[in-house]
Amino acid sequence: MNLFLELLLMPLVAFLVGLLMVLMLRRIGAKLQRRVGPPFFQPLYDVVKLYAKRTQVSHGPIHDMGIVMAVGGYIAAETLLPVPGMDGLADKGGVIALAYMMMIPSLGLALGVGQCANPNGSIGISRALTAMLAYDVPFMLVIFGAAWVYGSTDLSEMIAQQQQGEWGVARMPLLALAGLLTLPALMGKQPFEIYVAPAEIATGPMVEMGGKFLGGLFVMQAFQLYTAGALYTTLFLGGGEHWLSFLPKIFLVVAIPMMIAYLFPRYRAEDMLRVMWKWPVLAALLGLAMVMK
Amino acid sequence: MSNEREVIGIHAEAKRGNPLAHVFDELTRFCRARSLFMLHYCTGCGAIELPPAMTSRFDMERLGIQPMVTPRQADILLVTGYVSVKTLKRIILTYEQMSAPKYVIGICSCTVNGGMYWQSYATAKVLKAYLPVDMYIAGCMPRPEAVIAGLRALIDDIEADRAESWKRYYQHYDHYLGNQQSLFGDDWQTPTDILAEAEHYGLLGEHTRGKHTALLERHQRPLEALEMRLRVPEEPE
Repeated sequence: MNLFLELLLMPLVAFLVGLLMVLMLRRIGAKLQRRVGPPFFQPLYDVVKLYAKRTQVSHGPIHDMGIVMAVGGYIAAETLLPVPGMDGLADKGGVIALAYMMMIPSLGLALGVGQCANPNGSIGISRALTAMLAYDVPFMLVIFGAAWVYGSTDLSEMIAQQQQGEWGVARMPLLALAGLLTLPALMGKQPFEIYVAPAEIATGPMVEMGGKFLGGLFVMQAFQLYTAGALYTTLFLGGGEHWLSFLPKIFLVVAIPMMIAYLFPRYRAEDMLRVMWKWPVLAALLGLAMVMK
Repeated sequence: MSNEREVIGIHAEAKRGNPLAHVFDELTRFCRARSLFMLHYCTGCGAIELPPAMTSRFDMERLGIQPMVTPRQADILLVTGYVSVKTLKRIILTYEQMSAPKYVIGICSCTVNGGMYWQSYATAKVLKAYLPVDMYIAGCMPRPEAVIAGLRALIDDIEADRAESWKRYYQHYDHYLGNQQSLFGDDWQTPTDILAEAEHYGLLGEHTRGKHTALLERHQRPLEALEMRLRVPEEPE
């Protein structure tokens, strides 16, 4: 397929699948609480409504730019993430460039929130960056281990190897476990959502975001869920031969953290750092020792 | 003033000429009615009826209504119960920070006419004198069924383009400001500059300015950024 078309289609598909994931998470949450849950198009209604707000409150150019960076970082990440039938820039970027791209949204958000000058926002974003510090260590170890096993940082090469041989989860089970333990933090789900904490710091980074800004963050969340699910599937679950086998896998990966989300009370920022640097890192280091022996 | 209004009218007319504008209007109205973020300003006892309306028994989320925690993110301002004069200041600040289209719902008799606080000296009795209210849900207190019914009525209003009270706040600002000044004193000023916003969004009406806004403009100070300073406490020797 034409590369230009792919670059347009990949973020678009990611956005639509991401919206479905948001719906799935909200439905799972509703079922766990014995509610009916939102209707099918609810995530779309929310985004359209937010973008259609008539008055907007911007706190300055950096605030505007921050949201653009937050969404743009993920759009760039989607073009580096191969999906069935479309490789995009995957062969030129590789998994390390992808990991960099996945950090840009948090930094963009930090810039944007900084200009809002809301104390709740500042606390929230400092906690969000602490959370990034917490989950990035095991995340990087997992990526390093996977790249070591496949002998390549090229994501399409990893998928090709898994589709000929066995899946990554069989070749490096401990690394896959470490990745799964990191996922809730990567997705900002409970019990690692201290930086959102609606009742305590009024949704932290989102506190001054209304209208189009919040709409941008909703779009970003859809991308975030998709990226986490698709990356884990690519590294450990054999990627996708075609969409019919790819979609169930990424939805399953995203659903697992949500199933256990309400089981644990929320961790504080420093406890989150402790938990993340203990169990996933331990599993990842053991996994590395196993694959490098 | 009248000149500016005509300009807006012509502008709006020209916009109607575009057939696609109707499609987008319909789409946004459709989505607006189905996605309502609610800021519940729980001033009184009516707040106790909201948790059952939100949780598994009545489940507001199936109507697309979900709670939000800051005025910037919210569409609906729920005022649940009696409004003391001090609380009313906060409600007005909150309302002015919300981005339009925004809707106000007054729950309980206390927001309609003061209810059992009718003789209280410290209670603002009629909420709609200070803010444009879209929907009253009367009762002491209204049950969750009534709350849901009221929200459904609001949804119908939004879809039929009848819930436009946020424009009334801009177009009749003098009236609302006058009532606010009579409670809070002549030096009442909020951080949000409603007159400038009305001008910016082309919502100036015949009654936006008047003697009360003139009073406001006489003493109005522009907002200044807070001084950022880190004070390190001295170590006791």
